[in-house]
Amino acid sequence: MSDTRDTVLEVRDLHTHFFLRRGVVKAVDGVSFSLKRGEVLGLVGESGCGKSLTALSLMRLLPKGGARTIKGEVLLGGENILERTPAEMREIRGRRISMVLQDPQTSLNPVFTVGDQLREAIERRRKGASLAEIMKEAVAALRRVEIAAPEQRIGQYPHQMSGGMKQRVVGAIAISGEPEVLIADEPTTALDVTIQLQYLKLLKRLQAETGMAILFITHDFGVVGRMCDRVAVMYAGRIVECGPVKQIFEAPSHPYTRALIASVPRMTGAAGRLTTIEGQPPSLMDLPVGCRFASRCALVEQRCLDAYPGTVRIGADHTADCWKVSPS
Amino acid sequence: MTGPLLRVEGLKKHFAFTKGILFSRTLGHVKAVDDVSFDIRAGETLGLVGESGCGKTTTSRMILNLDEPTEGRILLDGEPISGLQGEALRAYRAKVQAVFQDPWSSLNPRMKVGRTIAESLIVNDWGDKAKIAARVRELLQQVGLRAEQAEQYPHEFSGGQCHALAAALASRPKLIVLDEPVSALDVSIRAQMMNLLKDIQAQDNVAYLLVAHDLATVRHMADHTVVMYLGKIVEKAPTESLFADVRHPYTRALFSAVLVAWPGRHEEEIELRGEVPSPLNPPTGCHFHTRCPYVMPRCSQQEPALREVSPGHAVACHLFDDNLTLRSGPQDRVAKGGLRS
Repeated sequence: MSDTRDTVLEVRDLHTHFFLRRGVVKAVDGVSFSLKRGEVLGLVGESGCGKSLTALSLMRLLPKGGARTIKGEVLLGGENILERTPAEMREIRGRRISMVLQDPQTSLNPVFTVGDQLREAIERRRKGASLAEIMKEAVAALRRVEIAAPEQRIGQYPHQMSGGMKQRVVGAIAISGEPEVLIADEPTTALDVTIQLQYLKLLKRLQAETGMAILFITHDFGVVGRMCDRVAVMYAGRIVECGPVKQIFEAPSHPYTRALIASVPRMTGAAGRLTTIEGQPPSLMDLPVGCRFASRCALVEQRCLDAYPGTVRIGADHTADCWKVSPS
Repeated sequence: MTGPLLRVEGLKKHFAFTKGILFSRTLGHVKAVDDVSFDIRAGETLGLVGESGCGKTTTSRMILNLDEPTEGRILLDGEPISGLQGEALRAYRAKVQAVFQDPWSSLNPRMKVGRTIAESLIVNDWGDKAKIAARVRELLQQVGLRAEQAEQYPHEFSGGQCHALAAALASRPKLIVLDEPVSALDVSIRAQMMNLLKDIQAQDNVAYLLVAHDLATVRHMADHTVVMYLGKIVEKAPTESLFADVRHPYTRALFSAVLVAWPGRHEEEIELRGEVPSPLNPPTGCHFHTRCPYVMPRCSQQEPALREVSPGHAVACHLFDDNLTLRSGPQDRVAKGGLRS
């Protein structure tokens, strides 16, 4: 952790809980990670593990109805954005940290043209610019995300475009403010496979041009292998393993990561029975004191049930929360 | 083994594209499915692969007898299914069942799970109450749930896809159409569901038509695979032979778009330019020629026929007209041939 020069985003011990009448849902419960300039960090995990809520906590866009970040720090360029006022946060969003969501349909307003929606994003950044200037920039933004005939597309409504094209528009809006960090929450899940590959390659090219850091949230290990430099695996509100993609794939340390990777159907090798993970994750309202994966883990011991294992450093850039791994 | 369980012959489905309401006129036809033929044998799985709009869902709807084909026939056990009515149609529905992607849309939220499953037994005159209750318990156990869960409502626990499967199995079908059965599920649950489907197939000798876009799922589940593009079959082969030797350029593009989780395994990659053309106005000749990296002059003029390149392995592509093989040869063309990387 000595090299902090290039760290654009650092999250420390983030806790976001839902306070409901029935109890407290500890959806994000002690998440820490950092993101360097030009790096892609994958955040993987199954539904309900807290990966999307982590992203919303970073954006300070928590859903209404009892969700609150109660502890932790989100350091963007060294300053804790959890302490910013809502007005200051509006300036940060879009310019310094931006987000692309899964379904482009819900990110775009169906009654405005694509040009109007891009204009809104550009206008805020370039106050006092003439409409012609802004529209010129909007066309350039569409060209950047490789939309053919942007001059015509700019006057179209979202329903006139295909899913892949709409997601490109969302991408154009998200990066129009030249953010330092882009959060991509399953941006290709709704797209067809060949279109998915196009979009991922586009993101890579844009990243190479701008040097932005990407937090890539996904449940698909294929996307991780393709896009990410490092990967953080989340389970029941915590990151259980984090390290370089190659190391995690070749030698996963945490039993959960191992089981998860083993259960992915492969394109090569024997097409036999798949390995499964028995049981279900613990309720986030009633988390065990020990390791959260203990009830489903094949290697479980008494100490796993008694206390949560600390984060063990097993390599230069590789950590795991497990009693059974030995530090190196 | 005698004839196939299900035979699809020259199946076509054209939807008219009209303008106006009162005095509507037809502007053209969308050829959603255009001359598709394949067989499914008892106890086997056929994988139907393609991107949105390729006609795989329309094909499965016709097999489910929900849509009437424009041309061609579907035969179950040698009997044509078109025009079935009343008792005969009911008997057909008992033999051919479906499980869809979103289990919650197939389950009534206000009905107990057991009741949903029992419904199909009641329709098919399974017997008295006690017999039906016994069968519901048996079905729940078969899909890995507890018998007591019959008394719960769908929202009370996860595993909706298992209920939908139990309901589909109730009438002891011979064929189940599985439309993206695992794509909405989490990785670990997906593996459980895939194993379960295979176990049930081994026990009951039921055939599956697996409609999917994920090639890895198809590889693990299907005995035969059919790849569709814009309403037509572009490649059809035993799964093992297809995965060992992919021929059609579109199938190759699909394969390279599969994001292999293991880094450094992207030796040859085909990134397709553009998107699937509108089925309203498909390209002339080979429908794929506008995006094909190996396009030749004749591709835009002449439609390639589906021809066998090795036993059971058929491809519709002009590259194989003169027994050219895609394996050796066009690699140098790939380098020059307008591919982005």
